[in-house]
Amino acid sequence: MEIQFKDVSYIYQENTPFAHKALENISFKVGSGSFVAVIGHTGSGKSTLIQHLNGLSLPSRGEITIGDFRLSADGKPKNIRDLRRKVGVVFQYPEHQLFEETVAKDIAFGPKNFDVKQEEINLRIEKLFPAVGLSEELLERSPFDLSGGQKRRVAIAGVLAMAPEVLVLDEPTAGLDPRGQREIMDMFYQLHQEQNLTTVLVTHSMEDALAYADKIIILNKGQKYMEGSPLDVFKQTEKLQKVQLGVPEVIHFLNQYNERFGTSLNYQYQSMPELAEEIKKQLEVGSHE
Amino acid sequence: MNNALIIGQYVPGNSLIHRLDPRTKITIVFFFVIIVFFANNVPSYSLLTAFSVLCVLISRVPLQFILKGLLPVWFLIIFTFILHLIITNEGNLLVNWGFIKIYSGGVIQGLAISLRFFLLILTTSLLTLTTTPIEITDAMEEMLHPLKKIKFPVHELALMMSISLRFIPTLMQETDKISRAQAARGVDFRTGPVKDRVMAVIPLLVPLFVSAFKRAEDLAMAMEARGYQGGEGRSKLRELHIGTKDILVLTGFVLMLAALFFLRQ
Repeated sequence: MEIQFKDVSYIYQENTPFAHKALENISFKVGSGSFVAVIGHTGSGKSTLIQHLNGLSLPSRGEITIGDFRLSADGKPKNIRDLRRKVGVVFQYPEHQLFEETVAKDIAFGPKNFDVKQEEINLRIEKLFPAVGLSEELLERSPFDLSGGQKRRVAIAGVLAMAPEVLVLDEPTAGLDPRGQREIMDMFYQLHQEQNLTTVLVTHSMEDALAYADKIIILNKGQKYMEGSPLDVFKQTEKLQKVQLGVPEVIHFLNQYNERFGTSLNYQYQSMPELAEEIKKQLEVGSHE
Repeated sequence: MNNALIIGQYVPGNSLIHRLDPRTKITIVFFFVIIVFFANNVPSYSLLTAFSVLCVLISRVPLQFILKGLLPVWFLIIFTFILHLIITNEGNLLVNWGFIKIYSGGVIQGLAISLRFFLLILTTSLLTLTTTPIEITDAMEEMLHPLKKIKFPVHELALMMSISLRFIPTLMQETDKISRAQAARGVDFRTGPVKDRVMAVIPLLVPLFVSAFKRAEDLAMAMEARGYQGGEGRSKLRELHIGTKDILVLTGFVLMLAALFFLRQ
């Protein structure tokens, strides 16, 4: 589904001494089937932005369109339930939402709320479980007995079981070990491609943004600071540094290498090892001359 | 976040009321709550109303904010008024609808009781609006100090109080977070039959309790790791002290008390 923000502002506790502008005049458009990364520091408005995607928060000003759904300050649309079914949100530390007696029941909770039949749910779980990297013997265990990583995966499966069309991820890998982080991100990316999802990823990791996103939005103090393809955004190192954001390691290395040796290697999504090969080749050519 | 109820919320400021020693404020509120019940005629009620309004004005907490924040309490105030209006049968008969008879005594009684109620809530919420929870617990600990002689665990009580106050916002945030997560999974807390809404609380309460217990465990561990061992010999970062302004304000309050007893019948 296509997502469009038009001059969206959001003010917390308006008309009180605690009023606080969390979003200010945000406009952007995300095409159906694309993968967007939203980057920004704590307090930049990332999490607030996410809550607008399924109508948990309504904009104080401006308008949001998600597929056929319109959200504005005028109040909740009647079909908000349909919107919530179509937009799956994996919140930060989603394992905090687990509550059922068994893993299977907890995963079924979301789809059941949206009137999906039990047989269908079972089919979905059967497909999902290997995808999120869990084994079926866990299904009858209590979610509270699992390890942190397993809990996270169960909670993610609980959102995916709703079969959403838009997937919103709020730092889904925070607090996991590096291997778990990669596995989970790869899993999301695979789902994104297989099921043609529209994915919005909130992250601190420039590496993830570079690896998975085809569009990056950078927020700063509630305002849109930059928007563009990863290559365009990460070209502007200085502009990023102004808001204390870095560039991915590979690009950082490449920039420094070019500066030091006066070369002009271009970045074309190479991985570190690929880049090393390229440099090696260039050096060999250089030494033969 | 619960935006409607402001009782217990602190509004930062630097007014005279904010800077008073919390013990002064607690003492005044404590006696005010008692003397509200001694007012019994127009002059004495006016005096008390003037006093509370003056306090609100000095505190510079926006009046509109306080009134809006007391919205849930307005219901109680109006309910009390109506109750007195209907059940009191003194004075002249004003309205007679057969089954409902309203007497002039009822109107007066209703107004007086509602005003009492309003003043009580206004002053007590002003206390929490202008005093940080830490100040309040510190003051309680100081004021209850004499009870230590009879082995009453004053320090532990104050600690319990400050910990629970400290975790109210945390738990509220947590509730907010979990309810959002569950709402995203299709739970509807606001509409539907009562039975469904009651059931909708389970996915909220279970994770909330789990995290509260976990937090308690973490906190206990952290306190022990840093060598916490209770109140004996423990010093304070901010010592409370009574200054000139406290004495002036207390004197003013006592004068008002005297005036009240002079005015009442």
